Amino acid sequence: MRIKNILISLFFAFFVFTNVAQASEHESGSTPPTTEKKAYESKSLSQLASSWWSTTGINALIDFDDGETTSEPKGADYEREMTWFESSLGRIIMIIIVFVLFYLAIAKNFEPLLLIPIAFGGLLANIPLANMGGEHGMLGIIYNMGIANEFFPLLIFMGVGAMTDFGPLLANPKTAILGGAAQFGIFGALVGAVVLGFELQDASAISIIGGADGPTSIFIANRLAPDMLGAIAVAAYSYMALVPVIQPPIMRALTTKEERRIVMKTGRKVHRLEKLIFPIVVLMLTLLLLPESAPLIGAFAFGNFAKESGVVDRLSDTMQNSLINVITIFLGLGVGSKLAADKFLVLETMGIMIIGLIAFSVGTAAGVLMARLMNKYSDEPINPLIGAAGVSAVPMSARVVSKVGSEEKPGNVLLMHAMGPNVAGVIGSAVAAGVLLSIFK
Amino acid sequence: MADEVNNVAEALKFMVLGMGVVFLFLLILVKVVELQAKLIAKYFPEDAPKTPATPAGNSADEEQRKVAAIIAAVTEFRNKKS
Repeated sequence: MRIKNILISLFFAFFVFTNVAQASEHESGSTPPTTEKKAYESKSLSQLASSWWSTTGINALIDFDDGETTSEPKGADYEREMTWFESSLGRIIMIIIVFVLFYLAIAKNFEPLLLIPIAFGGLLANIPLANMGGEHGMLGIIYNMGIANEFFPLLIFMGVGAMTDFGPLLANPKTAILGGAAQFGIFGALVGAVVLGFELQDASAISIIGGADGPTSIFIANRLAPDMLGAIAVAAYSYMALVPVIQPPIMRALTTKEERRIVMKTGRKVHRLEKLIFPIVVLMLTLLLLPESAPLIGAFAFGNFAKESGVVDRLSDTMQNSLINVITIFLGLGVGSKLAADKFLVLETMGIMIIGLIAFSVGTAAGVLMARLMNKYSDEPINPLIGAAGVSAVPMSARVVSKVGSEEKPGNVLLMHAMGPNVAGVIGSAVAAGVLLSIFK
Repeated sequence: MADEVNNVAEALKFMVLGMGVVFLFLLILVKVVELQAKLIAKYFPEDAPKTPATPAGNSADEEQRKVAAIIAAVTEFRNKKS
């Protein structure tokens, strides 16, 4: 009995001791919260009301110097206090821009899959005081999880690879050259950006917008100009969404009516083995010529190989549906967080948007002109419109080409012919990205 | 000013290199794909596994063909369903 008592008291003493030790540890470990708690004194109702008022969004928008800092997802050292414009008027402007994006996505149906998450991310990022784009905010977490480390773009590429059918390209390999010509937009924009006064490295990151390829743009911007990533990603995705607006006028201006009415021969039937081997061939070429592009092309080739192998339908199905959908949500919200006023409403953004537009237009034009040239010197007729699909916005620009083509001549379906340059454009811009990366290595 | 001019020249060099590599890559790709198409057409005549021309003596082969037919039917069914 005595022994039991002693044991119990010993146990009790130990328990109390450890508790005290833990408590003291806690106190020394995180002083700020405890001191804050101690500082709490009885407050009058008016004090409570005024303290609530100071945390409202209305106050944050009106009060110019409330000492709010910019939200850097990594807690980087370039975190600074917001200017009065960024913390007040800028936010209101950005929220209006977000509503315009909603309108474009819902009423005009411009790539709603991209614009809705991006715009909503932008809306969340512009809520004052919530700091959602910061290190511990939802958007900041998403951003750090997959955009800051270039992970999401690669997963998107995997999904695009699993969705892509290289059949049309294999049936008419020559059209791949058109996908190369459209990359002229990238390098033309590079020169343009340098003339406008951007540094070479920043200019290279911006110019990739000309490929009209969101994932590649994010990938490159991360490596070459991380501070401009937001504006570049937003520009790239906006132009991807605006493909049906920007491309048709350029296509019509550069072709004659007869050329637009050209009917192309249906491609030959492609052997299953050709499709199976193709991703490996592309990857081997990357291995030999440009390992810098390997992450992008590797993910793309993997997705395509899984699809064409025909034995892992479950995996390829996941890649082209569930996986890419999940990543699109995350990528959209993460990119949207860069629509915060302090990131987006800077002079550079204007420059980036303009250069991006020029890059994209030049790319389209170069593709169309190249297709005209090919039409002249090739024995098979080639409708120059398919050159516009050389920009890598898959499959949007191929659809646009088909639409313009059938407007000129009902029943002329160019979709399959345009898919060739379109998927070659994806490879082309990944190669161009690799070249730019290799220069700044 | 001199620096800026230099940058533009640099950018033009990038352009030449970049377009060169892109076209080189795609041209090689086109050639390889054409070659591959020829080789496959020669050694694996059109849709070899589907043609029922082969003698039906080999039972393992027969078995495989049955499995292939079942898979094809199932995928067809699934595709129609979705």
